[in-house]
Amino acid sequence: MGGRDAPLPVSLSGSLDYAIGGSFRRMALHVASVGMGRFGKRPEGLVALAAEAAHLALEGIGRKPVDLLVVGTMFSHGPHGREALLPRLAGLLGLEAASGFRVDSSSGTGGMAFHTAAHALETGRFERALVVGAEKMTDRTTAENTKDLSASLHMSEVAAGATMPGLAAIVASRYFERYHLTSHVCDVATVHARAMAAVNPNAHFQKAVTLDEVATSKPVALPLRLLHCSAISDGATAVILEKGTGPATVLGLGQGFDQLRIVDREDLTSFAATRIAARRAYEDAHLTRKEVNVIELHDAFSPFSMITLEDLGVCGPGEALDWFEKGWVGLSGRLPVNPSGGVIGRGHPVAASGLAEIAEVALQLRGEAGAHSIGTRPKVGLAHTVSGIGSHNFVTILGRGAP
Amino acid sequence: MSAAPALELARCQACHSRFLPSHGPCPRCGSLDCVPYSTPPVGKVLASTELQYPATGWTAPHRLVLVELPDAVRVLAIGEGPLPAPGAIVELHRDHDVYRARPEPSA
Repeated sequence: MGGRDAPLPVSLSGSLDYAIGGSFRRMALHVASVGMGRFGKRPEGLVALAAEAAHLALEGIGRKPVDLLVVGTMFSHGPHGREALLPRLAGLLGLEAASGFRVDSSSGTGGMAFHTAAHALETGRFERALVVGAEKMTDRTTAENTKDLSASLHMSEVAAGATMPGLAAIVASRYFERYHLTSHVCDVATVHARAMAAVNPNAHFQKAVTLDEVATSKPVALPLRLLHCSAISDGATAVILEKGTGPATVLGLGQGFDQLRIVDREDLTSFAATRIAARRAYEDAHLTRKEVNVIELHDAFSPFSMITLEDLGVCGPGEALDWFEKGWVGLSGRLPVNPSGGVIGRGHPVAASGLAEIAEVALQLRGEAGAHSIGTRPKVGLAHTVSGIGSHNFVTILGRGAP
Repeated sequence: MSAAPALELARCQACHSRFLPSHGPCPRCGSLDCVPYSTPPVGKVLASTELQYPATGWTAPHRLVLVELPDAVRVLAIGEGPLPAPGAIVELHRDHDVYRARPEPSA
């Protein structure tokens, strides 16, 4: 038998050197406003949720004109079937003369929407973008949501009965075995997420949980239990991205892909797509992770917050548990992680989550996070977004000043 | 010795990856220049789980087993019988588009 997670013949990291640009200097862009409604079970439909977030973001800039609208939704699920969200929203918001794009990258949609808007603005063609991520999920059955979420997986693995939690359980098992850990890792991560969410009025979950409550919640795909998995939620997020600088200037953008089939991946105890995206974003920003003061990461399953902290270079492989147990990732810790509650605590309207991650970092940098503000107002923050089971990930670095 | 038929795999002539299934382009580099070979249908369990909410068409509990064959070729198989622990040896059976992992018959 081959060694544990033995590398396949073609190295992913080997392809990175030519993928990173040389001396490209980006046009200065900054997040000028954030609009978020509450995540959770909402009575409104998709269009109303998206419009609510969009109006809040537009009010934040005194309704200055917007010439670019980028909308992300995975299901685009409305009360009578798939909704034409982009033109509906453009019409509702009076943006008939704007240019518009709709993007979908499953759970990474919000990150993709933001990066799409940033790259479009960088061309110089547009002045100001409204970026929206929205999803309506709670009026569908678990089976319907599971089936549609599986569109982000490889069809051969879905054919064998795999689901997102099923593959996440396989990843978690490999991670535990390699670093001699147990499902205690998942329990600790969920307790952290829910404690953060309890002070975020927009989070789906408003109540903290104990280690025991998490460890005895019902099995979904062991080692993963119900409280280790993100919830089905409704919600939307919007941000205004415009030319210029401010407290939340775009400093670095990075993306990375990995093999869609998990059996084709070099390693299952780490996400290559995150490592590539992070390296690209750090290089783009001319920063190291030591200069990052706050991280909002994509914990669709609670052990992924540990793996991601390692992939972002915060600590070594298998060491993240220590950061959580010592409180270093708390609101007043040395590096606050997921002050919004993350995907586990904030809820997971799939296409909104990626943008909510970026929005949270912008709120922290702008000093607008309210009760979930971290101890010291940060200068640099990092948002991390995942598509599917880590097939296409995004890292966004925002901070004060010019890029 | 295993009674199950040998597994058909493919080796990519361009990047030397080995993979299942034995048809189609190389999953690593996309090359169509792949040649078939066969291997005994026995592998080591890397991870396993039991899904309480499996994909449409399957009934709970549904077992998924990540199995490693020689040359680090991996397959995500449907587990039959008791859930095998990491390190266990299983026998793989091809069943149309999926693979089933069964406990290795005792010698």
